[in-house]
Amino acid sequence: MTVLETPPQLARDAHRTTVIRSCLDGLYWGSGILAAVSICAVCLLMLAQVAAREVGMQVPGADDLTAWFCAASAFLALAHTFKQGELIRVGLAIEQLGARGRRLAELIALGIGATFCGVMTWWLGVMVFQSWSFGDQAQGVLVIPLWIPQMPTLIGAAILTIAVLDELLLVAVFGREPSYVTAERDRLARGDFSEGI
Amino acid sequence: MSALAIGALLLVILCVLLAGGLWVAMALAAVGWIAMQLFVNAPAGPNLSGALWGSTASWTLAALPLFVWMGEILYRTKLSEQMFTGLAPWLGRVPGRLFHVNVLSCGLFGSVSGSSAATCATVAKIGLPELKRRGYDEGIALGTLAGAGTLGILIPPSIIMVVYAVAAEVSIIQIFIAGLLPSLIVMALFSGYIAVWALLNPGRMPPPEPPTSWREKFTAARELVPCLLLVVGVIGAIIAGYATATEAAAFGVAGSFLLAWIGGSLSWAAFRDSLMGATRLSCMIMFILAGAAFLTVAMGFTGIPRALAEWVAWLNPSPYALIAILCVVYILLGTALDGVSMIVLTTTIVLPMIQQAGFDLIWFGIFIVLLVEIAEVTPPVGFNLFVLQTMSGKDSMEVARAAIPFFAMLVIAIILITIFPGIVTWLPQVVMGNR
Repeated sequence: MTVLETPPQLARDAHRTTVIRSCLDGLYWGSGILAAVSICAVCLLMLAQVAAREVGMQVPGADDLTAWFCAASAFLALAHTFKQGELIRVGLAIEQLGARGRRLAELIALGIGATFCGVMTWWLGVMVFQSWSFGDQAQGVLVIPLWIPQMPTLIGAAILTIAVLDELLLVAVFGREPSYVTAERDRLARGDFSEGI
Repeated sequence: MSALAIGALLLVILCVLLAGGLWVAMALAAVGWIAMQLFVNAPAGPNLSGALWGSTASWTLAALPLFVWMGEILYRTKLSEQMFTGLAPWLGRVPGRLFHVNVLSCGLFGSVSGSSAATCATVAKIGLPELKRRGYDEGIALGTLAGAGTLGILIPPSIIMVVYAVAAEVSIIQIFIAGLLPSLIVMALFSGYIAVWALLNPGRMPPPEPPTSWREKFTAARELVPCLLLVVGVIGAIIAGYATATEAAAFGVAGSFLLAWIGGSLSWAAFRDSLMGATRLSCMIMFILAGAAFLTVAMGFTGIPRALAEWVAWLNPSPYALIAILCVVYILLGTALDGVSMIVLTTTIVLPMIQQAGFDLIWFGIFIVLLVEIAEVTPPVGFNLFVLQTMSGKDSMEVARAAIPFFAMLVIAIILITIFPGIVTWLPQVVMGNR
């Protein structure tokens, strides 16, 4: 195959696409890592709580913090989990379809998914905004404004919405196979069964 | 429209969304959204955000990522080699010999892991090649691994039990303890089947191994010590009331790291992979729980579960008939759905009906866990079948056929706990009674 000289305009576009691509992938990985850090925090808090009880002390607000980190880990990991094909779905029916039917099914699923994620993000946004504007305080040992622990939930949902739209665009415009499909196939081919229960 | 007709319509919508490949958590929440928009005079948005936040910002739920992480760490250690070496010399004389190593290893690994797939894959990693090398029947080996692998979710800690406890709002500790006796019974049924099969088919067993001395037996058993210490540390702390489930899970993570470190399999890569794997798996489960929490709220507004419960009360079926019907429904559901989805659909729709019929929620939890175990070995989507198919290179139908006797043993276990519910309820009462 001869390598043709790429027109400057196209090269610039390609470069811009790569930059956007790596920014988005970085966003998904970054929020996934924050979710992982939240899980570490839950673990350390619980160990500290047991240790403190041994010497007759308490970790103030450990239970509240644990709950907040738990919510943060659930939502911040969503986009990363989605991209890696580990958000579970029933593949039984759509896997029977031919290539064109499968693509259509993926587009419909992504369309509905993106709509739902948008609605979810909007209403989580409303919740956080109201907590902030009403000055709601957490009902527990730690009296802090409630919007602070609620914020990661909103951020995670927003990033998931971006990830689903990103995937929709890749499948609809660029005709790619969805990354969650290829990622799952690669993982299972490696003999990695850690996604199962 | 009557509540039951609305319910039927929503069920059809749910089935279409699920079959269309929409992610389970989104499908559940979307059906809740449709139900609230069309049939309820209450705002859907604030209820959605409230349910999503309320169900995930939960101190009880925090046990879930930690138990998942613990399993992910142990999956990457040399525990399976240690269990095989430690157990094999003890079983040379029992009818069925090394087949029992599979059952006991799964039982032991199940006591530190909360996942059926991880238990099955970990034990099969060593059990499958070792048994094949020694000339054991591969079909029975696959069947034992598929069946006994499901012990991972019946023996505490169990991810599926945490999901049920959170969704049904019962105590995690109580349901963990309730799982202990049934898991012993299931292990006895599996081992019993293996022994009977071996006695009936002596021609298909390999020649016996050379006998081992007591000294050799005890030397080998030392390999089991780290794992047993972890079992005692985690389950013991829960039973003794020393730690809450979430605290015990954190012990479990720390203990698993210690075990991996002593065994020389702790590396930065192992730490990173186990943590990221646990983050994704628990994210998937918690998102489903959050979607289901909103669906539960929406269902409460529509009055469907209440209508269903009243309908069941009006039919007034015998408890055995109700259990038989639910068994069939869940075995069918299990052919298409994963365990977590089966559990959350139960708690959103079936639970009021179950309470109406007078069943204990802890008992019902164990019943559902046994049905999820059955689903793990039912084609076409049983995950254990899939794990073994990939690991052995056999056809999936061949693995499914090998698992049929163990499927039957699980059904017998369900019949036993239905006739003698005390198997489930007695131990939690004894242990928790004076707390």
